[in-house]
Amino acid sequence: MALTSGHNAPNGSRGQTVAQRLQKELMDLMTKPTAGITAFPDDENMTRWTATIEGPADTPYANLTFKLAMRFGSTYPYEAPSVVFKTPIYHPNVDFSGRICLDILKDKWSALVGIEGLLVSLQSLLGEPNNSSPLNGQAAELWDNDMEAFKRHVLARHKTSEELDLDA
Amino acid sequence: MDHKSRVFASVFAVPSLSHTTPTPIATPDLGYTGPGKSFGSPFASAAGGPHRAVRRNLAWSAATRFLSLPKPPLGNDTSVDFERIPKSAEVEEALQYLLVGEGKSEQEHEEGLVEWYTNEARLHFATYVRPALEELWDREIDLRHAWEVLDETQRILHLVQHLYLQPFEDHVLPHLYNQGSSSTIRPGNSEDMVTQAPGWKMKRDIQAVFAHCLPPQRFSKTLSYVLYDSGCKLFRIYVRQDGLQASATPEDSQAFRKRLVALLQGLELVGLGGDNAQKAFAHAMDKLMDSFIVSHYLKVDWFSKKSMVPHLRMWIKDGFCPLVELVLDCLKCDPDHVQPTELQQWQDMALGRLGRARVDNLFDFVINWDKSLGAILDIKEYLKVSNAKQHLTSSFSQQVSRRLLHPGATTTFILNVYIYVIRAFHELEPKGVLLERVARPIRRYLKERDDTARIIISSLLTDLDDESGTKFAPGSELSYEIASEMHKPIANVSQDQDEELNWNDMNWQPLPSDASPDYKKAKVEDVIWFLLTLWDREDFIDELKNILGNHLLRCQDPEYEKEIRLLELIKIRLGDDKLQACEVMLRDVLDSKRINSSIQGSGISGLLQTPQGAPRTPQPSGRQLGLGPSTPSWPPPQPKGPKLNAQILSSFFWPPLREDDFQVPEQIQTIQKSYEANFERIKGMRKLRWMNALGDSSITLAFQDRTEDFEKLTPWQVSVICAFEPQPGEEWAAGGNGKGKATSSITRDVEQLSTALSMDTPLVRQALGFWVGKSVLRSTSPDTYEVIESLATTSNKADADAAAAAQEIAQVQAEAQSAAVKTQEDVFQEKKDVYRSFIVGMLTNTGNLPVMRIMMMMRMMVQGGFPFGMEELKGLLAEMMAEGKVVGLGGEVYGIRKA
Repeated sequence: MALTSGHNAPNGSRGQTVAQRLQKELMDLMTKPTAGITAFPDDENMTRWTATIEGPADTPYANLTFKLAMRFGSTYPYEAPSVVFKTPIYHPNVDFSGRICLDILKDKWSALVGIEGLLVSLQSLLGEPNNSSPLNGQAAELWDNDMEAFKRHVLARHKTSEELDLDA
Repeated sequence: MDHKSRVFASVFAVPSLSHTTPTPIATPDLGYTGPGKSFGSPFASAAGGPHRAVRRNLAWSAATRFLSLPKPPLGNDTSVDFERIPKSAEVEEALQYLLVGEGKSEQEHEEGLVEWYTNEARLHFATYVRPALEELWDREIDLRHAWEVLDETQRILHLVQHLYLQPFEDHVLPHLYNQGSSSTIRPGNSEDMVTQAPGWKMKRDIQAVFAHCLPPQRFSKTLSYVLYDSGCKLFRIYVRQDGLQASATPEDSQAFRKRLVALLQGLELVGLGGDNAQKAFAHAMDKLMDSFIVSHYLKVDWFSKKSMVPHLRMWIKDGFCPLVELVLDCLKCDPDHVQPTELQQWQDMALGRLGRARVDNLFDFVINWDKSLGAILDIKEYLKVSNAKQHLTSSFSQQVSRRLLHPGATTTFILNVYIYVIRAFHELEPKGVLLERVARPIRRYLKERDDTARIIISSLLTDLDDESGTKFAPGSELSYEIASEMHKPIANVSQDQDEELNWNDMNWQPLPSDASPDYKKAKVEDVIWFLLTLWDREDFIDELKNILGNHLLRCQDPEYEKEIRLLELIKIRLGDDKLQACEVMLRDVLDSKRINSSIQGSGISGLLQTPQGAPRTPQPSGRQLGLGPSTPSWPPPQPKGPKLNAQILSSFFWPPLREDDFQVPEQIQTIQKSYEANFERIKGMRKLRWMNALGDSSITLAFQDRTEDFEKLTPWQVSVICAFEPQPGEEWAAGGNGKGKATSSITRDVEQLSTALSMDTPLVRQALGFWVGKSVLRSTSPDTYEVIESLATTSNKADADAAAAAQEIAQVQAEAQSAAVKTQEDVFQEKKDVYRSFIVGMLTNTGNLPVMRIMMMMRMMVQGGFPFGMEELKGLLAEMMAEGKVVGLGGEVYGIRKA
């Protein structure tokens, strides 16, 4: 079965396999939930997901939750999905429109990472920013020099999902 | 007039002797002087003119006096030959003069003698006869008296008709006739016409008066009844009509026929035959045909199972037609014999009615198949009538939906009826077009029932000859019909030739013209084929896997003959792809036998021997084993020592199995280990995973005063009873042969057992209940049980009662527990956690959702599908609300609870 659909794969059947793969990943996420991470498709179209991650304890993001929007292309899992933060976040590697600079979203992506792996990486990115290549220079600087100020910025920028809904 | 005067008058016509004296005699008419004639000449009008009137008057007087009808003609014994004035020469002359002579009415104002007589008759009838008739007819005619009334009417009318017509024919007609024949020689026909016309007209007028005085509808109804009644009597059809019991005494049909003929001929004579009578007759025959069809002659032939149609045709031809001809003859109808086409029509009509009557009860015939073969054959004949098929389809569909497809009917019953339908309709119409039509609603309904597939498959696997006769008892789920179908030889499946292209097929027939477009003549058409094609293949195979799995694990037949046969059968019907899982399952159980014997034969038997010294030695014999990634298994017993036979199942192919986990007794564990070791030696890389909840076991329990054998126990029952063995640390006085004292029976409570065996409490309780039922344990206090070591000393009523009660409960529980394969419910419970996290994930990430939407997403997102309904989902949501994970926001909208 894998053979046939892999070889002569017109777009339709390729789309089918993406959906199947996503469904399987969803099933895995649901059967073995990872603490602080959930993700779920937005609607019948399996290629758009919303994920929710909780800020790791002992970081400025503790007790905060962040929503992310995930888009899976027709080449998934061979190419990384596009992921942006929907919740405004103050972070050295995230710009103000929510774009993320993370190696596994780019050249380090592998089909083995999967949705769960990606979200776990993002969660740990919150606690361990890569300050060598910041998208938000101020945040990188504050992280290194003034943690208190950084925390204030984080809290000021964070909004809960309800607040987001109101804004929208 | 006395005789003397008559004599006198015969010589000298003395008008004054008669009661009236025509005016011209009293006052001679001197006539008028014609223009240009001399006045007062006595010869002026001697030629006749004015004298004609006088003569005519005289003649008229004489003739009418002679012809006038007697005044009170109808007494009780109406004498037809009332005293009539002898016809004198004078009268003769007067008649001659008036009818054919000069006195014939010439101008319109002059009344003709014939008209006068007709009028006289009418007047007479109205005055004297009509009241009597009206008395007869002015009320509804009671059917019982119909015959008498008609007879009487006919008699009276016959009399008066005679009375009226007799003088006319005697005295008037001869004159007319003579004139007709003497005047000219004409061709016969016209002569007849001329001579017959006045008589015929007279008769017609009188009969019109007769007919007019009877209420037409009432008369034809009565006549119709009489004809119908006579039909019934002649054919001896005894039907209740309008609450009236037809006379049960069989009359002599010859005599009866004569009476009927007499009546009809009489009616015809007085002009009451003709069109109206024919119409009444048609009604009567119509009804007679109906009566015949529902009569005892055409009752369904339940014994010799023959069609009644030939009988019906014969009756129409040899009974009905002659009667029609007889009556038509009596009524002097025009074509007085039955045409062959009419006969054909009547036969078809009768067949149509018979068919309809049969179709109305078709459902009853179907459920009484094949005793009802006769009726089905009748209907088969009926199908040749046009529109019969539509009628049959719609009528039967109605009966089915009213009587079968309702929640009150058990699935087994519906299946049985469906089988009867298949068989009966196969007889009815071998091409199966009708069957396809009528069975569609049944099939659709059966598909909706959850238990259909289970019943079919388990019935197919059931032994037909069952020892106790309880298997197919009413209320049982198993269908005898299905099981017996299984016993029939597998029909020869014709090879996959395209039958349409098989030029050598001399039996080829075109598709029926009324077949639906997707009609396809099935190659195999036995009942099982219809049952197996109820579902889509995949659905059916899934169900089959579950049931077959359950069945194989419980099956007692070491050869698995039935199962193999069933599988082969299904392969033939459904094709053998997709059935690998079932084949693997079957092979697993067969292989297990081999592996068991090879393991047990390879010198491990020593290991299996366990010390016999223990007071109660369980000899469990069945155990379900799991083989690592891909298999489970189990065993049967040997009399000596615990022995283990494993069923090794390839877990990948089997449906989800029960996985209650608990500790089996230590001895068993030991054997399991050694079995496992041996298995791994034989099968290399594979690993066994034991499924303790499956399997069965037998055990021998030795008590102080008795030893009892138990067979076919579930493993948990054995485990529980084994836990009542004394533990090494326990204080327990071992007797000489290892029996404890009656006073110190071993006591355990539920809690203990549950922890010791790591078994779920419900299971523990169920096992305890079972043992209490067997009088092995007794409950000393709630949740605490002890062994009944000695029945003799402790047997008391309480124990017996408790045992009886517990046994019942245990039975019910055991039935619920014994399924080896998980039910939907189990699956739902098991997967609940996954579903919960789906719901939490969904609500966390996509916000609040209405329950419909949740349902839809679940169906879409859960791999393997979400086979549960709205009710289950709502239940789950309610549970989660109670746990505080989810909040209901009203209107069936749910959201995640914020921490």
